[in-house]
Amino acid sequence: MTSAESVTIVMIEDDEGHARLIEKNLRRAGVFNEVVHCESGTAGLKYLFEARTVNPNPLLILLDLNLPDMTGIDILGKLKADEQLKRAPVIVLTTTDDQREIQRCYDLGCSVYITKPVNYETFSQAIRQLGLFLSVIQVPKVP
Amino acid sequence: MPTSRSILGRAGLLLLALGALTLVLVDVGSIWLGGKTRAYGRALERAQQIRVLTGQLQNRLDDAETGQRGFLLTGDESYLEPYTRAITLIPKSFEQLRPRFQETPDQPLLDRLNAVVDDKLAELHRTIDLYDQGQREQAIAEIKTDKGKILMDQARELIANLVATSDADIRRSGDDMRWGSATLQISTIAGSIIVVILVTGTGFIVAGYARQLEQSSEEVAELNRGLEGRVQERTADLMQANEEIQRFAYIVSHDLRAPLVNVMGFTAELEVGVTAIQKLVAEVELKQPELVGAEARLAATEDVPEAIGFIRSSTAKMDRLINAILKLSREGRRVLTPEPIDMALLLGGIVDSLRHQTEDAGAEIIVQEQLPGLVSDRLVLEQIFGNLIDNAVKYLEASRPGRITVSARAEAGRLIYEVADNGRGIAAGDHERIFELFRRSGTQDRPGEGIGLAHVRALTRRLGGLISVHSEFGRGTRFEVNLPRILPAQTESVES
Repeated sequence: MTSAESVTIVMIEDDEGHARLIEKNLRRAGVFNEVVHCESGTAGLKYLFEARTVNPNPLLILLDLNLPDMTGIDILGKLKADEQLKRAPVIVLTTTDDQREIQRCYDLGCSVYITKPVNYETFSQAIRQLGLFLSVIQVPKVP
Repeated sequence: MPTSRSILGRAGLLLLALGALTLVLVDVGSIWLGGKTRAYGRALERAQQIRVLTGQLQNRLDDAETGQRGFLLTGDESYLEPYTRAITLIPKSFEQLRPRFQETPDQPLLDRLNAVVDDKLAELHRTIDLYDQGQREQAIAEIKTDKGKILMDQARELIANLVATSDADIRRSGDDMRWGSATLQISTIAGSIIVVILVTGTGFIVAGYARQLEQSSEEVAELNRGLEGRVQERTADLMQANEEIQRFAYIVSHDLRAPLVNVMGFTAELEVGVTAIQKLVAEVELKQPELVGAEARLAATEDVPEAIGFIRSSTAKMDRLINAILKLSREGRRVLTPEPIDMALLLGGIVDSLRHQTEDAGAEIIVQEQLPGLVSDRLVLEQIFGNLIDNAVKYLEASRPGRITVSARAEAGRLIYEVADNGRGIAAGDHERIFELFRRSGTQDRPGEGIGLAHVRALTRRLGGLISVHSEFGRGTRFEVNLPRILPAQTESVES
């Protein structure tokens, strides 16, 4: 679990409420990793591409698809085009469960796709599962 | 083009009449000329006969005179022989001449000649008689009076006149004939020219009419093509507008969902908080009841949970509505795959899947035999007819056994499918409204969100079709789905 504990979670989410809910639920699920919140796609990309020099920890990316300045799909494409960042797992969190969009995210190399449901119970459950998932997976180190 | 047809009729008839008239004129002319020619022939023949007959007459007169002179000179009876022959022949000459002059202007001339000849013959006879009676001197004296010579000269002159008048007759009828034939020639040429002009004119008119016909039939064909093009254009426009609405709905529902996630999420947070507060209130009440006011207790145990309950049910409803829009827009974004479809089979499947509800309602669904099939998207058709038949079963009139019929007919290259029921019907004011999203009509005693028909209309439009409703409140409802026989394959899919 040591590697999981040292993972930095980068959350790219423009909706503050969603960000707060996600963080709360992660904590409640027992995930206490550092969470870096970026409120736009630009800020998220900037952090991710600079983090390599500042933050030695491996990264896990929580990505919202509906961002005001660019789509999550664009960010996903850029991450997967980068030699180093392409190994970082990406969890897509979005409001839609459109099959084609999900397919596209997986095609671009996202690790997990989670729908943000309105039904809070399922949402909490999903986040808890995500916490469990985070504590199980081996997140590769971004050198 | 009735105008040009009547123009052809009038002008054509006129030209035909002119042509016929020209032919008649030329005919009359040649008949007249024939008459003239015959007249000329007759005149020629008559003149010749007159020449011969008058020549004969002249000779006979000469013979008679010669015989008389010889007899008077010699007293020899044999010299009288030409005289006696001539006097029997001369009346014959007149007999032959008379019919040729009957009822002609020259008849008096002949009569005068006859008289002169008679006089001459009488003179000859008298002198011979005198000689026979032995009065030879007296007979010679008679001749010496020159009376006979004068008569002879007169006869000669009259004969010459007769010949001259008949010659003039020949000339006249010859001139007539020449003039006639010249006229006929000119009029034949003129007639031919006119006929040629008429034929050419008629030819031009017919050619022009044929051209007009061809042109107008081409115009009709062009109009047809234009019409088809316009229909296709309009269908394409409609499909594009539909796609835009779908995209819009997709974006809207997406963006509406984000705040809803927050409302719901934080309501849950509130619930968690309230549970903690309720526990605290209960605990405090147990230990130090005076600290807990009635207001605080009410808020913790009733007001806040109630508020949370309303927020939850409202957000749940909103979520359902957004999901409905999302479903609609997602259907709209699906790439259609046209395939040949056996409608009888497809409808049979729908009827089977509704058998349970139909039996419960005591209703029957009758699908017309030999329904025409089409090339379209199976899934969309299933949804359209599934919804329509489901609605028909759902909204039957309880007071009578339900009867739902599905039929089809072809019209103007398209197919019109009908789903008709004898159910409760739709009020006239609601005929448009029922196709709107979240709108419902009549007694609200059946579950539903008001999505079905909106969905059906959107789907029908996607297939390039139209849907209309004909209904009388309390009597029944008939939906008409007008679809193209062949749905063209989509060349591009709609991307978000």
